[in-house]
Amino acid sequence: MSQYYEASLLEEWNCAKCGAALKPAKVDIAYMGSQFTIELPKCEICGLVLIPESLARGKMAEVEKILEDK
Amino acid sequence: MMPMLSQTQSLCPECLSRIPAYYIKEGDAVFLVKHCDSHGKFQTVLWRGKPDFETWVRPKIPTSPSLCYAEMSQGCPFDCGLCPEHRQHTCTALLEITMRCNLNCPVCFASAGSVVPPDPDLKLIRTWYERVMNACGFCNIQLSGGEPTVRDDLPMIIEIGREIGFSFIQLNTNGIRLATEKDYARRLKEAGLSSVFLQFDGTNDDIYIPLRGKPLFEVKQAAIEHCTENDIGVVLVPTLMPKVNLHNIGDILRFGLKFAPTVRGVHFQPVSYFGRYPNPPLNKDRITLPEIMTALEQQTHGMVRTENFRPPGCENARCSFHGNFILMPDGNLKALTQLTQTACRCDESSRISQHIEKAEEGAIQAISTVARQWAFPTISEKQCCEKTDDLDAFLTRARQYGFAVSAMAFQDAWNLDTERLRDCCIHVVSPEGKLIPFCIYNLTSAGGKSLYRLKF
Repeated sequence: MSQYYEASLLEEWNCAKCGAALKPAKVDIAYMGSQFTIELPKCEICGLVLIPESLARGKMAEVEKILEDK
Repeated sequence: MMPMLSQTQSLCPECLSRIPAYYIKEGDAVFLVKHCDSHGKFQTVLWRGKPDFETWVRPKIPTSPSLCYAEMSQGCPFDCGLCPEHRQHTCTALLEITMRCNLNCPVCFASAGSVVPPDPDLKLIRTWYERVMNACGFCNIQLSGGEPTVRDDLPMIIEIGREIGFSFIQLNTNGIRLATEKDYARRLKEAGLSSVFLQFDGTNDDIYIPLRGKPLFEVKQAAIEHCTENDIGVVLVPTLMPKVNLHNIGDILRFGLKFAPTVRGVHFQPVSYFGRYPNPPLNKDRITLPEIMTALEQQTHGMVRTENFRPPGCENARCSFHGNFILMPDGNLKALTQLTQTACRCDESSRISQHIEKAEEGAIQAISTVARQWAFPTISEKQCCEKTDDLDAFLTRARQYGFAVSAMAFQDAWNLDTERLRDCCIHVVSPEGKLIPFCIYNLTSAGGKSLYRLKF
């Protein structure tokens, strides 16, 4: 499975909701009928997921463009 | 009494006077009905079958052209240029760089014939590009004709367009020169050609002979092979005509898939009637958009389905359908488009108006989607993953093996609806540099009289 975040994020970030550490976890993301499973930092307690800005503006945005039609 | 669905304006096919027209429904068919005081009643089929005409909608907030080359005086459709009442921007500007042709097709939009005007010189073509850029910005360009490849300076014409700043330049061609002349595809590629819009009516010569007057199937295959060797994307463009090639729709699609990723998609064009028609074309001589969707589903045994197609976000809903797919390693198509889907809108204001999109945004989206999907894939990786549930694998596969299936129904003198016309985004640059919606530029009366195209 591809890596979509810098490992250092796990050290740099805590969960904003409950303050717990983030751990790598498989996350399902869905958009316009398509579903993808990728590994992202996730809060061990409440499940909040960190999506790095580079991913949101990069590959995720590109996938959105492909799925959104003309 | 048949239910009337809506009212619009059209033209009398005989005298081209503007007259009221009505959509009426009979069973699952919808007709445009109109009456000219001098020439009587005309009833032309617009829609037959599923999805229902009434459901095939995509309302948009209209946008005016930012620069108009014509003023309003007589009203639509007599003031095209575009006029300030037009409701959509230019997505594709079409430059007719010659009226000469190396075929003599019984079916021809451009009425290329034996008596033709001289070719526009490079200075005039540069002016056309500049006027498109001034009025429309970075839209897509299609070089058309006649048959544009009869001009030996075509590479130079492509270079001028690139120099002015157009990044997507497509060639509308019958493919003969691409197929027969060594190194021709390479020269066009080096000049900056993005894509070939290849006239491709079917997968055997029983189709080409009645439509084009010659057996051309081998020529088409050779043209595609030469595009493959030179990384030029190809869109197959079949003109669909009852009794000629409707049975071949599934085979055309399968043929296209065999040549993916060079072949980027298939764009069907139901036959429309331009030229001289002493007797009005019969409704059985027309095929409508839902019938094409249904034929695609039936003839591909459900590999593509009617619900995989949507109305357009750029032009009027009744003008086209499209579906985006990915060709999977097992040869099947994964559908990316669904009829009911709506993209996520994140802010409150757009949530309220999510079912009425902005026409302007639809045009921007169409320009970028067409440029991405119809050009050769830029991806360097040759290996594509089998699974697409990982973002990287999906992106790799989609960039390389994205496949578009679409159709566009042109309007002729019998079925013209000025509401559709005002939403048009495909504009021909006239010799004097005006932008004229494609259908009205090519439209002729039953006697062959044109509103806009100059006669020689």
